[in-house]
Amino acid sequence: MSAARVIARLDVKGPNLVKGIHLEGLRVIGDPRAYAARYYAEGADEILYVDIVASLYGRNNILDVVRRTASDIFVPMTVAGGLRSLDDVREALRSGADKVAINTAAVANPGLIREVSEAFGSQCMVLELQTKKIGPDRWEAYTDNGREKTGVDALDWGRHAVELGAGELLVTSVDREGTQKGMDLEFLRRLVPQVPVPVIACGGVGTPDHACEAVAEIGVDAVAVASVLHYGKCTIGDIKARLAMADVPVRASP
Amino acid sequence: MTARAVVVADYGRGNLFSVCQAVARVGGAPVLSSDPAAVRGAERVILPGVGAFGDAMAGLRARGLDEALTEFAATGRPLLGVCLGMQLLLEESSEFGRHAGLGLLPGRVERLPQPAPGSREKIPNVGWCRLEPAPGGTPWADSPFAAVKPGDFAYFVHSYAAQPGVPRQRLADIVFAGVPTCAAIVRGPIAGCQFHPEKSGEVGLSIIDAFVHRM
Amino acid sequence: MSAEPARPQANAASLLDTKFGLPAEVRFCTRCVISNQRPSSAVEYQHTAASKKQTIHFDEAGVCAACRFAEMKDTQVDWKERERALLDLLARHRRTDGRFDVLVPGSGGKDSIYASHVLRNKYGMHPLTVTWAPHIYTEVGWRNFQAWIHSGFTNLLCTPAGRVHRTLTRLAFENLLHPFQPFIFGQKAFAPKFAALYDIPLVVYGENEVEYGNPIAEAATPRRDLRYFAGSPAAEPLYLGGVPASELPKHGVELWELEPYLPADPALLHDKKIEVHYLGYYLKWVPQECYYFAVEHAGFEANTERTEGTYSKYNSIDDRMDGLHYFTTFIKFGLGRASYDAAQEIRNHHLTRDEGVALVRRFDGEVPRKWLQENLDYMGITEPRFWELIDQFRSPHLWKREGDRWILRHQVS
Repeated sequence: MSAARVIARLDVKGPNLVKGIHLEGLRVIGDPRAYAARYYAEGADEILYVDIVASLYGRNNILDVVRRTASDIFVPMTVAGGLRSLDDVREALRSGADKVAINTAAVANPGLIREVSEAFGSQCMVLELQTKKIGPDRWEAYTDNGREKTGVDALDWGRHAVELGAGELLVTSVDREGTQKGMDLEFLRRLVPQVPVPVIACGGVGTPDHACEAVAEIGVDAVAVASVLHYGKCTIGDIKARLAMADVPVRASP
Repeated sequence: MTARAVVVADYGRGNLFSVCQAVARVGGAPVLSSDPAAVRGAERVILPGVGAFGDAMAGLRARGLDEALTEFAATGRPLLGVCLGMQLLLEESSEFGRHAGLGLLPGRVERLPQPAPGSREKIPNVGWCRLEPAPGGTPWADSPFAAVKPGDFAYFVHSYAAQPGVPRQRLADIVFAGVPTCAAIVRGPIAGCQFHPEKSGEVGLSIIDAFVHRM
Repeated sequence: MSAEPARPQANAASLLDTKFGLPAEVRFCTRCVISNQRPSSAVEYQHTAASKKQTIHFDEAGVCAACRFAEMKDTQVDWKERERALLDLLARHRRTDGRFDVLVPGSGGKDSIYASHVLRNKYGMHPLTVTWAPHIYTEVGWRNFQAWIHSGFTNLLCTPAGRVHRTLTRLAFENLLHPFQPFIFGQKAFAPKFAALYDIPLVVYGENEVEYGNPIAEAATPRRDLRYFAGSPAAEPLYLGGVPASELPKHGVELWELEPYLPADPALLHDKKIEVHYLGYYLKWVPQECYYFAVEHAGFEANTERTEGTYSKYNSIDDRMDGLHYFTTFIKFGLGRASYDAAQEIRNHHLTRDEGVALVRRFDGEVPRKWLQENLDYMGITEPRFWELIDQFRSPHLWKREGDRWILRHQVS
């Protein structure tokens, strides 16, 4: 059995680490490299970099940050934001990323998922699913960093993406993210049993208990956390300790 | 004191960038090269690798690196195989047909055992798994695993695993699908990690450190 | 057709007609994305089709007044001093006899949530809140309004008579392409008049419009200029919707029905010692921080999806007419919602200019389709008539026709 993973998510805009609420109102937090190094030292199992402005500018500047960070951190890195083609993915992997997470481009062109997983391996192709609750039992997929609706059912899309070759699903709740009020367990509860690939839950962790609920009760394979770390409300070590208390296998924090 | 040079074999496949970063991080001087002469003349060599066995061997052969590695290994200088690079050290793999490896250690490479239905384990095995000493294998204290503790986690991405022919050459195992699965091997100055030491945090770095400075 | 003689570039602008007295040459601020076409707040009661706009000032370095103001806020204003002044002001008004002592006008948006909470929880005042209803509440706007009330504030909501409001909105749209005007009347006038009625002398609004480019001189004082909300109809004839008040009965609006829109009586305000202040004079105002505050203290919700015409989700989301309002500013001045949002965020150091430019070019001027039909029904205007009116307000110096499309002559870069 592999360990449950605690992933540090860093939203990057140009040279800055930023954070918003509901993916809105982006505040500058600091130097992404310094924060990534700290989270690595605290025991982060992976680092997730999201380029928040890639789709706006039509280019991906985050690779500079990734390259420079590669000398500081020695756990897997995933890059997300504005990846549109095999070339973009190749470039990201060459810069030190182990995986890429794709959302907007995959919704526009689902065939991209198959192309990427065939060229680089499905373990490298993560589908990012941004979800928003629109009814008692319905969630809609969003793109463009939570800005645009797609009209697509999130659950259906997640399943379909796995069929196309996505090796992992990164599920970000637009409703919960930045609020630190708990994760969207309802959606995760429905998704996890329906997909044969690892699920990373993201959005809403405000306390170690929130992360533990998602892993121990719902069975997600990993949680990605941002605000709670950037604002110093708790550490990766706190989250791992809580998971260990619930008998979830975790890689110990130093 | 000048940093210890480590030639990282570049045959077009592998997470070269991160491996070099890790070598640099532990105070080594990584030298990325696809030149057989550089490999022959190296102090120590890392053989990385990602992808399919047969394809990787073809890549080595095309550059004359297969012979260079064999000659290098014969000198008794340290060689570390990483991920697919470790598998290439063995005699043969059954991935996509039968393919011959470098044959520097006896043994074969076979597909991972199928996980039970309903199990959360999958092939490829991707994630952090717990390392344990292989029963009857080389004690860690005498190996690059000297600073690793039983139960430490390392990061794996693989569908195939080594089955070393000599129990003593097995260094570490993980458990996959309920079955002990080879995670690391060692034969004198030649070692291999199925996992990615350059992506396994401080545990992984300690192994690279031991390789660079103490083998 | 004979070829026209070549003309020097500098004169090109002067050959084009300009509407509303806008500057003939279009320039963009070198720091933010706003252009020199941005109108300063007008005294709406005097606003007619013939009015000439006062516009934002650009200095010799090409920097707009709002950016200079932001610079001042960052480097010159002594905020400790300002807070001391606030403490003095509040001390003079604070009541301990169980009565309200400050009137906070607002909508339940991020700014009023911030203002009311800070006055009550940090400064120990006893606020009463008052709201002038939006034309048509959005769902998220109504929820936020309720959340504000439930976070602990008594509120009085004044909703103008629907038929009257709709008539004035239509007239304002037809004559001025300014459907927001009826809202603006009440937003400025209602609270001071209510303060006089309820005997609460202190009225506190959020930000001064100078933050957005009104003449900097207006920021030298914490008090809103009386002209915006007070005046005597006897002294100066009033215009609503660009129509003299006396002619409104022709449009089906009786004079007594205009009461909520009319300016306050200056004599009454004087007698009751009503003072209207901007909290933004005393406390450094950062809209994005107000958003965070509002989320944390009242459960404020951003818009469920990107607001049309911009990239943001937390500004002005409570009126289904908001999108149309900004669309009309885009038509009249070449500045849509994204321009306003990006300019504000640039000045508050949340965006770089490059990013602001990219956002404006991508989102500005998006047709507000979501509520367009509803807005047209509200005003009683057909869509063809709508577009006819829209086109009438395009100034030639800003717009040109290419085939069947209208193109802005100048875009920020």
